[in-house]
Amino acid sequence: MADLLSTGVSGLLAAQVGLSTTGHNVSNANTDGYSRQQVSFAARAPQAQGQYYVGTGVDTQAVQRAYSQYLNTALWSASSSKGRADAYQALTDQLNNQLSGSSNLQASLDTFFGAVQDMANAPADASARGVLLARAGALASTFRALSGQFGSLDGQVQRQLTDTVASINSDSAAIAKLNERIRSSTGTQPSDLLDQRDALIKKLSGEVGISVATQNDGTLSVFVGNGQALVSGTQSYELGTAPNAYDATRLEVVDKGTGAVLSGRIGGGTLGALLDFRGNVLDPAQNQLGRAALAMADAFNAQHAQGVDLNGQLGGDFFTVAGPAVQAASGNTGSATLSAGIADLGALGSQDYTLSFDGTAWNLRDGSGAAVAMSGTGTAADPFLAGGLSFVVGGGAASAGDSFRIQPTRNAAGSIAVAITDPNKIAAAVPLLGSAASANTGTGAVGALTVADGTDPNLFTASSIVFSSPTTYSIDGGAAQTFTAGTPIVHNGWSLTLDGAPSAGDTFGVKANANARGDNANALKLGAVANLGVLDGGATSVGRAYGQLVGQVGSAGSLADDAAKTQTAVYNQAMASQQSVSGVNMDEEAANLVRFQQAYQASAQIITAANTVFNALLGAFK
Amino acid sequence: MRVSTSWMQQQSVNTMMERQGDLSDIQTQMGTGKRINQPSDDPVGAARAVELTHLDADTAQYQRNITSANARLGLEDQTLSSVSNVLDRIRTLTLEGMNGTQTDESRSDIAAEMVQLRSQLMGIANSKDSQGDYIFAGNRTGAAPFVSQAGGVSYVGDEGQRMVAAGPGLQVATGDPGSTIFMDVPTGNGTFVVGATAGNTGTAVAGATSVTDASAWDGGTYQISFTAPDAYEVRDSGGTLVASGAYDTQKGGMVAFNGVQVALSGAPATGDSFTVAPSSTQSVFATMDAIIASFTQTNSGGTDAQNALNGQLANLDQSIGSLTRARAAVGARMNALDQQQALNDDLTLQYKTALSDVQDLNYYDAVSKLSLQSSALQAAQQTFSKLQNLSLFNYIK
Repeated sequence: MADLLSTGVSGLLAAQVGLSTTGHNVSNANTDGYSRQQVSFAARAPQAQGQYYVGTGVDTQAVQRAYSQYLNTALWSASSSKGRADAYQALTDQLNNQLSGSSNLQASLDTFFGAVQDMANAPADASARGVLLARAGALASTFRALSGQFGSLDGQVQRQLTDTVASINSDSAAIAKLNERIRSSTGTQPSDLLDQRDALIKKLSGEVGISVATQNDGTLSVFVGNGQALVSGTQSYELGTAPNAYDATRLEVVDKGTGAVLSGRIGGGTLGALLDFRGNVLDPAQNQLGRAALAMADAFNAQHAQGVDLNGQLGGDFFTVAGPAVQAASGNTGSATLSAGIADLGALGSQDYTLSFDGTAWNLRDGSGAAVAMSGTGTAADPFLAGGLSFVVGGGAASAGDSFRIQPTRNAAGSIAVAITDPNKIAAAVPLLGSAASANTGTGAVGALTVADGTDPNLFTASSIVFSSPTTYSIDGGAAQTFTAGTPIVHNGWSLTLDGAPSAGDTFGVKANANARGDNANALKLGAVANLGVLDGGATSVGRAYGQLVGQVGSAGSLADDAAKTQTAVYNQAMASQQSVSGVNMDEEAANLVRFQQAYQASAQIITAANTVFNALLGAFK
Repeated sequence: MRVSTSWMQQQSVNTMMERQGDLSDIQTQMGTGKRINQPSDDPVGAARAVELTHLDADTAQYQRNITSANARLGLEDQTLSSVSNVLDRIRTLTLEGMNGTQTDESRSDIAAEMVQLRSQLMGIANSKDSQGDYIFAGNRTGAAPFVSQAGGVSYVGDEGQRMVAAGPGLQVATGDPGSTIFMDVPTGNGTFVVGATAGNTGTAVAGATSVTDASAWDGGTYQISFTAPDAYEVRDSGGTLVASGAYDTQKGGMVAFNGVQVALSGAPATGDSFTVAPSSTQSVFATMDAIIASFTQTNSGGTDAQNALNGQLANLDQSIGSLTRARAAVGARMNALDQQQALNDDLTLQYKTALSDVQDLNYYDAVSKLSLQSSALQAAQQTFSKLQNLSLFNYIK
């Protein structure tokens, strides 16, 4: 006869394990990454009793975690996407907040140009001029404030980058340690260690996009980017941050061991979001803002130079603004230098370029790495021209592999300032007056009269142009020159375009617009700069460039909002699926508790029964 | 499907937080009254709002410009009206002085008043606006444009005309250079001038002149000579005979040639002549000086003086005409500004409406959304608290 007592004891023990496991599940119901554990039982090998077998009780087979590799992998991937979407949304949200904040550039622009018009209404009025300078200062400071806000967001991205990299490193190290403990563990799998490792991997995937491979020894290898190992077996590898090759103030993510730059290859997770936001939202926004500042300053300065101030001097620069920034790569070995300038504002884009030397020729690439064709030879006399920029290569010889990064508009908004402080130096009047003699018989009329070279000492010397035939003229009795309709007549630093057709004997005069304190002709043109298309080949005004920036940043923000919503839904779905397998359900545990309690009580009854049977046997001998 | 208890609770919490986020958004919108509070709320709308705000600000500036232009033009009109009064008085005095009943003494008295009027006119022509700028100096507003010198008044302003931007693409002049109003006044009838040759011995006086056929008038200089008291001939500057005829005061004493005619009166002597020359320009001050000179000379009632005064009277009428044209131009500009102002008002309304459509909150929508979302939050909260009580553990005793 089988041993009823030990059968009962086996049931008692099994129920105890069941109760413990249930207790463990209930206690860990809120533990992040915990997988519910299940006890599996098996009947003990029966004892042969002649022609039949008698059962001998129960054995506790294993305590295993409820787990699906497939669902967990899906969760990691969703966590990576959600981590990226959340971080991206938080950053674009900040950028959006900044653009909706107090420093509304359009309002500053409107106020500034309003002051220009007010000055045009009273060109000699000192207070109108003073107000204009004050408004100009406010406009410049709005540009700088916005740029500064973008800059501080950039700084925040840098700090988050460092923090995230540190967190990734500590998680990688912890995973490697767990790998070691799991590999050295004996018997059935250590559920709680596996759970801890899974939780770490989920956390890591929220920080950076990873791929995971299971090894035969039970360890997990974690890779980032294009197969860069973070964890391999019991070994972890650290990421690091290092200054950008062109810009020491900017951090890039590198492999700490080899120093290889990984920034371009990292997607997913917070780290991916940081790099993506910096490269695809913040930098373009800063560039776009800079482009608006540059266009504003350049267009206004150009018109200002076409006027004379109250002192009778040609208008100087009204605004100062930083031109394109050129940064040499830290690894350059040659001694060549590069300078860049704006050649054509209308063709100027908002992206950055890299100019590199391949040993024989210089090649220009845009931000996306696509080759950009250049004209010219790169000398001061014949600079390289591309994208509205001009490049002059100077210094010594370049080595193959040397490169320079050009940021045409990055620093413009942060550097714009008002160049003049004396209200009298605002050039409201035109410097020159053109006239047609009243006795002229042709239809020639003075069209545009502009200053072509403000440094010409004879600019303000009166001149007369006499036509000896409809196609020939001489200036101040000089040599005969050929007149072509539509081609400006250039002399003494001015350029005059005649409309209509002059006849032989017609005379035109150009003289200084002396003492014209009340002249507002240039002020009106300065006011018109507000709506003047200066960018994109004349299609975009300064204000519209700001509108584009607002639209651009807004779109990024709205897309980020949508992405965050979508990714949260995807994550919730993945989490719900994973939890449906691995999560603890309290009702189920309550039922299990009752079940095991009852099993325990029943097993105890069996022991009682065994005792009773034994006592009965003992009693028979009394 | 198995449900993880803690995830279910977390989901409930997440739902509540989401609902609270929605509520906070609505709260912000209701607080600011704006549907777009940051560009990401509606990127296209936000960019459009920037543009509309700019257009609105632009238009407001145009309206300010128009106000300033109207002030300048109003002042100019007022000033020109004073000039008009002076010129009218001068004309009255001139006609009075030309009356045959006047004596040298009385003409001299008239001249004295005219000297006063002349200095008054100088004062008006050199008047300043509220900013201290000379109104009629063109762009040289810093210095008095009319300067008295030996030989008359000279103009030291320029021909500049200040413009104002009244609308997109519309610029209106807010002033006239003094030279066109006071200095460059055509003489005679604007086409030609008739003058008596000095030394005429008859009493013929040149009166009304007119252009009957502008296409026949060549702008040359001609001499009308009386070959007899009742016969005239007209020769051009080369001495070629152009026309001749009989002089008959009964028939108006008309001398006509090359599309122009001159009415003569009185009795010419043989050999008397008149010159017909193309019109030039003369300042109103020079005209006044000539009239004053006529009135102050002795025997100022004679034929020579009559002829001279007739000529200056024609010049004075040209001045008055020139003034009238300037006032009409000022009126036309103010009219154009008024029209542009009305147009700008319409535009402002349109921009404001469009801007409101783009960015303003529809409160009806918002309020119903608010109540909907508060109910959603309440529902989420109640669901949570109900679910918390549902646990098998509560029943195991």
